[in-house]
Amino acid sequence: MGKAVGSERLGSLYSGGKVRRRREWRGLGDTLYDYSRWLKIMLMLLKFMSKPANIKGFFRYRWMLNYLAVPMMIDRHTVGLRGNHLRIAHEEYDLVAEDVALLLTNAFRADKHCGNDREFSKKIVVLDENEMFAIMCGFPNLKSVSWETAAVYVSVLLRGHAVHHYLDVVQEMGLPGDVCPMPAAEAGVVIDDDMPVFGACAVQCNTTCDGSLLGNGILARRYEQEGIPVFQIAAPLRHTEEGVQEYAAQEIRNAIKFIEDCTGEKWSWEAYFENIKRFNEETRHRVGWMEMSRTDYPQVFGANLALYSETTYMAIAGRVPAFVEADRRITKLAEESFRRKEMLVPEYRHRAIIWGVQSQFYTDFLPWLQNCWGILPLVDMLSLVYLDQLSEDDPEQAIYDIARLYEEMIMRNRTHGGYEVLLDDLWRYCEEYNADMVILWEHIGCKALNGMHGMFEERAREHGIKLIWVNHDLMDMRVVPKQNLRDDVNRYMRSVLREEPLDPSLEVIDDAQSW
Amino acid sequence: MKDLKHLYYFERLLEDADNDLVRQARQQGRKCIGSICYQIPEVLMELEGVFPVRLRAPRTGSIEMGTYYMTSLLCEYSRALLERAIEGGYQFLDCLIAPDGCTMINRCVENMELLKTMSGEGFFYKYLEVPMKADDNGLALYVSECRRKVLEPLAEKFGADISDAALRKAVEQHNRLCRVITEIGNFRKEKNPRITGYEFHILCMATYVCPKDMLLDKLEETLEEIKERKPDEKSPFRARVALVGSEIDDVDMVKLVEDSGALVVADRFCLGSLPGREEISLNDSEDVLTQICRHYMMASMCPRQMNMEKVNRRKAYVNEIAGEYGADGIIFEQMKFCDPWAYERMTGTHILREEYGYPVLSIDRPYAVGNSGQIRTRVQAFVESIEIKKLQGGDR
Repeated sequence: MGKAVGSERLGSLYSGGKVRRRREWRGLGDTLYDYSRWLKIMLMLLKFMSKPANIKGFFRYRWMLNYLAVPMMIDRHTVGLRGNHLRIAHEEYDLVAEDVALLLTNAFRADKHCGNDREFSKKIVVLDENEMFAIMCGFPNLKSVSWETAAVYVSVLLRGHAVHHYLDVVQEMGLPGDVCPMPAAEAGVVIDDDMPVFGACAVQCNTTCDGSLLGNGILARRYEQEGIPVFQIAAPLRHTEEGVQEYAAQEIRNAIKFIEDCTGEKWSWEAYFENIKRFNEETRHRVGWMEMSRTDYPQVFGANLALYSETTYMAIAGRVPAFVEADRRITKLAEESFRRKEMLVPEYRHRAIIWGVQSQFYTDFLPWLQNCWGILPLVDMLSLVYLDQLSEDDPEQAIYDIARLYEEMIMRNRTHGGYEVLLDDLWRYCEEYNADMVILWEHIGCKALNGMHGMFEERAREHGIKLIWVNHDLMDMRVVPKQNLRDDVNRYMRSVLREEPLDPSLEVIDDAQSW
Repeated sequence: MKDLKHLYYFERLLEDADNDLVRQARQQGRKCIGSICYQIPEVLMELEGVFPVRLRAPRTGSIEMGTYYMTSLLCEYSRALLERAIEGGYQFLDCLIAPDGCTMINRCVENMELLKTMSGEGFFYKYLEVPMKADDNGLALYVSECRRKVLEPLAEKFGADISDAALRKAVEQHNRLCRVITEIGNFRKEKNPRITGYEFHILCMATYVCPKDMLLDKLEETLEEIKERKPDEKSPFRARVALVGSEIDDVDMVKLVEDSGALVVADRFCLGSLPGREEISLNDSEDVLTQICRHYMMASMCPRQMNMEKVNRRKAYVNEIAGEYGADGIIFEQMKFCDPWAYERMTGTHILREEYGYPVLSIDRPYAVGNSGQIRTRVQAFVESIEIKKLQGGDR
């Protein structure tokens, strides 16, 4: 227990209940810093609850209860961190929390069940949770809000049990339990009439998988019943082929026209390029962090990279200056730590690429990997997206850029596009990052990943890579509990590699009820 | 009813993917084009010198290898096809053209490619981007994909004539077969039909897996035979149903439903005739390929088409055919682990029941139903419920 990394047995923090036994002691300076950020989050929650529409929203929607766990969620992802790494994590998570609070505030202000601000609602475009918000970069006077992000995606990050009820609802309606729980839960929210209703129009997209696409049909039907017109962007699946790019670009042109027609707003190239300049800078920062991960001293990686990247790449897309400012601070901290050769845990034993679809109810599994076994989650599949710079001045090229972002949105860029981007690229990244191990999430509802199961095993053998399967059901921890995920790794590390954990107290922990 | 003269012949053709007619056609030097989904326009592969075969895995037993490569969570159809490919059961193919349609089929074909299951010299795979919305942009994509990935490879590799004239000729021949199948299928509309759903399923499915020109004479003869056929005075069936849903190529499925007392009067499933065996009409003012692609795009009832017109149209279409063929109820089926049809079954069941007022039986099923007691029991119960409704004077 102290200032140095690895000075505490982290397993001792778990109480078996919703919250931990106590806060982690990180030495005086870091503990004070961490506590001040915790207080800041608590103040943010209080401020959020000071708005009447938000209070209504809190009591109207079952999924809002999950937001009580925001501080705990940040604690889970900063466990074991010290110094600059702790500050980097807080830069990321605290900002994401603020952004989600703003999302909720906007949603409840416009929602007909809460604030019912109709004029404000007419300025909102509803987007999918897994969609590129870059389509909104040219509409500076419009807001883009994804209620799915708030109700399902973030809820499960905060609390593993968050959407079990909605999964039960949709399965009672007749949906089999083997489909991906994310679109299923979103459909469940709609069926359960737990969806905030607002927006001048909605733009959906065939995002990651068949389930997501089909689930959208249920949402779209509801939008139409509420008088919200819907446009579906059908981004091509074989996105690596040149022959589909013109089609993809036309889909974007059609979507922009749809938004213009529904809102009366005009697309602004000036606004678009201003946002894209920030987006490009964000990408450059991210690429810089990933470059560090190719060395012996990675600084921004694992869950911190994954969750923050998802937000900046997909949901922010350069539209919020605070993110690029945070990026600059993160880069500065990371470079400083890199020069000092700082490590996150006392010993780095394995360098791993994290591949597949992460368990949404257990995103702090990656910190666990590093703390318990010294496995460095260098980079994950969801962060390896489109990292090229986009045009900052050519409107014609810009349409193709947006189309490319849609085609290569997170997860979709690997689940679609052929085996080359899912299977072949993995071994290329193993080489680039000098990784000796692959942690392969096997999300049991993800057909795109499961369909390559055997080939992953064969290729791993051929490349001499240690492959650990980690099974989960994305958002349903009743099917695969958290300890089972850990046991997948524990078994391999002990029985195949004959290794002892760095921190044995984390091998088996009682966090089944934990927020 | 008297047995159809050629029914056994057609049944035999369905016992193997590499059936007698496929072998004969290959002996004549024709190239066999494997395809997997309705969305690869069949007629484009019916040019001179080539013929299409929709892949099936009849008499599937163990699918252990397919399960190893794709886990037990992918649909059994995709696993059974992969298993059969690994066993060498598709060596008769000269190429395989698949859509990037549902993820599972896509992965199935990719595994076939990665595992080098087809050893023929010059064997090639093509994956088509097929439109997920039925609109002008989707059509432009479809045309370009069909040209680049179906027609041009067929011309380049097999010397097929892909001119407009050749396409028109292919459409003409295709339409001739469709007319026969449609005419046979129309007898199902009769009050006491002179053909069963099973018989029709056999005839129709044969047209997907054999060179069509080699089937035509027997089909035409069968049509004439049916015209003269006398149905039993009292129908052995207690209810009429439309069978709706995902891929059915297992001959036992329709048989099982009919053995349980429900006559299958309409077949709205992949490898059925609604849609699939309607004529393609061509005009003289537009490019032939565009017209063909538009036909397939508009007629498709695939749940992966995501625009709301299509989403709503799929349910309305079931209502139309159920009305036209006089169905008392609807059996909505889905192959287990099929994501697209899982959602479509859930919403379709609800909408057809609540908004259109049909009794609906909603089931998931394995690829090969065999003699499934569970499905039999459910269909029997469904038939009884329809009978009770009739007795009680309900509308349907």
